[in-house]
Amino acid sequence: MVGYGAAPMFSLLLVAVLAQGPAAVPAPGPLGPPGPPTVPVPVPDAGVADAMVPPLPVASLPPATHELFRRIQGRVAQVRIIERRSGTKSSIGSAFFVSAKGHALTNYHVVSDLVLHPEDYTAELDRGDSTVPVRLLAVDVASDVAVIQVEAPVADFFKLEADEPPQGTRLFAMGNPRDLGTTIVEGTYNGLVRDALYERVHFTGAINPGMSGGPTLSGEGGVVGVNVATMGNQVGFLVPVAKARQLLDGALKLEAPPDSAALMVSVREQLLANQQRITDRLMATDLPKQALGEYRVPGRWSPFLKCWGDTPHDPETPYTVTSYQCSSEEDIFLSSSHRTGVVAYLHQHVTSQKLGAMRFSALYSTLFSQDPDPVSATREDVTNFRCNSEFVDVGGLTVRAAICLRSYRRFPGLYDLVLRAATLNASTHGVDTSLTLGGFSAENARKLARRYLEGLSWTK
Amino acid sequence: MDEVIFLEVLEGDAVQARHRLEKLPVTVGRGYGNDVILDDPKVSAEHLRLERREDGAVVLHDVGSVNGTFNVQPWARLQELVLTPDARVAVGDTVLRFRPRGFEVEDTVVNEAVPRERLFERPRAFALTLQALVAVAFISERVTQFQKTDWGDLLLAGVVPLGLALLWAGGWSLASRIARRSYYFRAHATIGGMVLLGFALSPPLFALLSFSFALGSGLAVVRTLLILGLVGWGLYWHLRYVTRWSSKRVVRGLVIASVGVLVLTNVSVMLGNEDFSEALEFPRSLLPPVLRVAPAHSMDSFFEELTPLAEDVDALAKED
Repeated sequence: MVGYGAAPMFSLLLVAVLAQGPAAVPAPGPLGPPGPPTVPVPVPDAGVADAMVPPLPVASLPPATHELFRRIQGRVAQVRIIERRSGTKSSIGSAFFVSAKGHALTNYHVVSDLVLHPEDYTAELDRGDSTVPVRLLAVDVASDVAVIQVEAPVADFFKLEADEPPQGTRLFAMGNPRDLGTTIVEGTYNGLVRDALYERVHFTGAINPGMSGGPTLSGEGGVVGVNVATMGNQVGFLVPVAKARQLLDGALKLEAPPDSAALMVSVREQLLANQQRITDRLMATDLPKQALGEYRVPGRWSPFLKCWGDTPHDPETPYTVTSYQCSSEEDIFLSSSHRTGVVAYLHQHVTSQKLGAMRFSALYSTLFSQDPDPVSATREDVTNFRCNSEFVDVGGLTVRAAICLRSYRRFPGLYDLVLRAATLNASTHGVDTSLTLGGFSAENARKLARRYLEGLSWTK
Repeated sequence: MDEVIFLEVLEGDAVQARHRLEKLPVTVGRGYGNDVILDDPKVSAEHLRLERREDGAVVLHDVGSVNGTFNVQPWARLQELVLTPDARVAVGDTVLRFRPRGFEVEDTVVNEAVPRERLFERPRAFALTLQALVAVAFISERVTQFQKTDWGDLLLAGVVPLGLALLWAGGWSLASRIARRSYYFRAHATIGGMVLLGFALSPPLFALLSFSFALGSGLAVVRTLLILGLVGWGLYWHLRYVTRWSSKRVVRGLVIASVGVLVLTNVSVMLGNEDFSEALEFPRSLLPPVLRVAPAHSMDSFFEELTPLAEDVDALAKED
């Protein structure tokens, strides 16, 4: 799966990015812009995973499902995000009631426009026979859940399950895929995703755009998770019910709904806490060393990082480039254009027996000129980068290094950092490395980047 | 007025024809019966008559022309005019000027430098410049190509600048031929070749400076100025071969043009507008380690730099 150069790491990153995205394209059409998009995943064992997917139930729905659906249909509703000026929906998702006072749970990414652009968007809930206005009470951006409330009391609502079900339990996901009406989808519970940076339940069943924010239920009708993302091929993801309950408990205690500034403050605090959690986790472990030619480079720092490597072979090319890259492959959705909470790095070991020192320099400069794709963001999210470049002595190894920073406009105190470095100890081989940190405080970014650069050494 | 006067037919500021008038009266018109014949269809067959009065003054009469005679400054139709030195009248589309023999001419323009053979005109300069150009283009292509050697590309890299220099010189030669009746092809080719040589040599030079001394954005300004200087120098000499303008005039024109180019290309930067970009701006040239002159900093000092960077980007975030 890994191609040449910096591209592959970020194709993986992109997967993580899209996996949480609502693809909020304002394309008007019968389907409407849906919730979480389907995501093609270029993992090397994709074919194997495909084969392991349990076959869809061929028979008609068992009576139990049918009854379950009839019983709970009214508890699930469609959330519509209304753009004020056009007066119509700009995106949709699902939500489900969890209290008699009209509290409902959905995904943060369904209602992100209400948090970031409260002046441009409102939300309403389609309850089948009527639409009611909705207000936003609380969000958890790292887990991607939100609590909303309608004015009128609700007669019928879900209870949240206290415990995680055993692996293999049959579950039922509900929602409104592609604006086609409320549906129920059968699947199985497959535990928490292994080594994930952001906790997710792996649900084997079809979750489609528009079902975001809908509940996934046990056979008894209790909520075990909130639909959040899909990788296609029956690989779906849920927010664990514990995260949803935590946010709901806080929201139930609120006396008045928070104003938009207070919501932004809470998002900023969550981002700060999240980057602190990642930093503490990384700084608590020693950075393992990975051998790359005669160099030692930062290896797999933490289990949440997924690492890949490759060396393209072309007999006509007078040099070889071996790449080694690690990425969290997951991120936090802030808006359709802005992601954060990312750790990714890439090393490229270049060596040549055929090129002279000058021609090798030209090759090495070209590699050093190619930067990894930055974490996606637009002008209203972040500033431009500012860089500082120097020759740096890394434990006796001289590198040409540059450190670049950009600031978050909406969340002061958070930054994206890019560290670039190329070793300069030999004239026909070297290691070019880049580290990307998305959404860290300046101090934490400095600590991590320094630990990372210290992981670079030469063995001769 | 003087005994002898001159009638000058003007074309703009330049004199198109000059007639020496020794005996008055003199008649002026389109007809062949006149002393001075004007080939202007708007001039009448008998248009003007110049006479000397008894007091010695020369008087101009309109002898009943169809389109009339006009004083130029101030503009006024006239029937009769007492000529003063440097008087100008318009007939039809033609402007006539009258000057006495005693008219004082300006001082002789002193030649700026002792005439000598210029560098560009030496036959060896032409050959050497073009050979150097081909060699430099070939070598820089070879050194910066790290893929499998492609001899076709290498050959092309050497030939293209040569062709470019000769083509460029051809254009300027034509201009010289039209303006000064001489081609100066060799001189133009030498100038063009030298400018291209400068362009071919500046990237490796700047890569070396940037790497060896760890120079950053300051180098970009020097580079822009150097390129402008190089282009300005080339244009100066091309123009000297094409026009008869004084060197001061050419320099003035080029300075104004360069400042104009600088202002227009940097207007958004000067206004403080910066487009949104995800690009990382830092020097990228990597050369063999032996060419490094600047010292390597400690990790401490490198990561200290993060604090001012954070302040920089925080200031950017507050700007708008």
